[in-house]
Amino acid sequence: MFRSTSGTRRVTLVLVALLLSALLVLPTQSQRLLQHIGVPLAPIVTLPIEALAALDRSLRDMWEGYVALHEVHEENLRLRREIELLQHQNGRLQEAASASQRLTALLEFKGRARSQTVAAQVIGRETTNWYRAVVVNKGDVDGVRVEMGVITPAGVVGRVVKTTRSASMVLLVTDPNNAITGLIQRTRDEGIVEGTAQGLARVKYLPLLSTVRAGDRVVTSGLTGGFPRGLPIGVITSIDKMEGDLFQSGDIVPDADLTRLEEVVIITAPREEADWDAASLQTQPPQQRKP
Amino acid sequence: MKRLLYLTLVFGLVPIQTTVLSHVSVGGIRPDLCLVAAILVGFFTGVREGFLLGLAMGFVQDLFSAGVLWLNLVTKGSVGFLGGVAGRYVANATTLTALAGILGLSLMSGTVFLLTVGPAGFRDASFAVRAVLLPQAMWDAALGAGLYWLLAKRVRRQRAILEGPTGLGSLIR
Repeated sequence: MFRSTSGTRRVTLVLVALLLSALLVLPTQSQRLLQHIGVPLAPIVTLPIEALAALDRSLRDMWEGYVALHEVHEENLRLRREIELLQHQNGRLQEAASASQRLTALLEFKGRARSQTVAAQVIGRETTNWYRAVVVNKGDVDGVRVEMGVITPAGVVGRVVKTTRSASMVLLVTDPNNAITGLIQRTRDEGIVEGTAQGLARVKYLPLLSTVRAGDRVVTSGLTGGFPRGLPIGVITSIDKMEGDLFQSGDIVPDADLTRLEEVVIITAPREEADWDAASLQTQPPQQRKP
Repeated sequence: MKRLLYLTLVFGLVPIQTTVLSHVSVGGIRPDLCLVAAILVGFFTGVREGFLLGLAMGFVQDLFSAGVLWLNLVTKGSVGFLGGVAGRYVANATTLTALAGILGLSLMSGTVFLLTVGPAGFRDASFAVRAVLLPQAMWDAALGAGLYWLLAKRVRRQRAILEGPTGLGSLIR
């Protein structure tokens, strides 16, 4: 494949070495260049990702609807076949009902939200183990841009950090590289919500005199990033108040179940009307977590 | 045939990595297919192919990663290159040698990630080493050694056929 003379080979290697040096020396410019190169390549990879995600979903449905139920049907062959068939159908119907329920909630949520939003499906996870991020099936052509906020009816999911033509990377709120301004709902104190290495979130830089305590809800403050004010982020589980510290901080359990994301909403225009109906959001049942 | 295989690796491994590979994760850690592929291609076919294929796979991986656009490109290119160097200079490689080599290269690549992601993210470096760096290196080494064993067996068989009465084995050396 790469047959060439030794002179050409040397020139190629020198050029590649120069390119790599340029990447390290000029990170911003090289990001732009690489982004341009990636534009035609990304859709080629997005298609198999979507196909594999669909295959994965259907195989999981089959597993849950058939194999998992198979152990129950040991008593009678005839009954087993009958029950198997019914359970298989039931499993598929339940999956359809569950999907319909989720999508209805998403549609209702989109209707209530006065900002412009785009619904997207999670089609994959981050390619490395170093970031907590997901791939969604909406990109540049759908109006998705970097820094836009991503939510579910249960709460904040994260923000868009990279886009291609037809897909985007969403950095989850539990990633240590993510930072969102948060507000303690009861005390109205502001802080910064960051992910932790352990996969949870933490609200930092809370005033030392704040009466914040475990059980308090944290919502978006709307000051920075792609989120309007009042979206639920999570619940504080513990507070760290060390003697001599200038601030206090607290651990948060996110409201959205980030391990089982399937559909999300991307806020494409958060600042048009930042008066989300926070109260009605609170009445929404949290996304169900499976054990 | 070789081109088709390389294209499949470049455009096929990342979709697998982002979707179905989460089913084989242990404690949330998955092996890095592109890293293993770059090392093995380098080892079996040479420095240049390992390096260029590593660059290509790393770039595609970067497009679907939350990190900067050069991190995987540089690390995968480097491990492909080093895999090729190992293939050229290591005589009588065994599965155990491959396991140790891939473990070392994965640790090296992970350290670059740790140093790059570290200042903004994992402040507790020892936690990152225990939770991500070491488990991933072990995963990569185990998978890579298994694949090496299969590939080496195949190469040996082909060599034996060619070295038979015709003595064509010299062609693939």
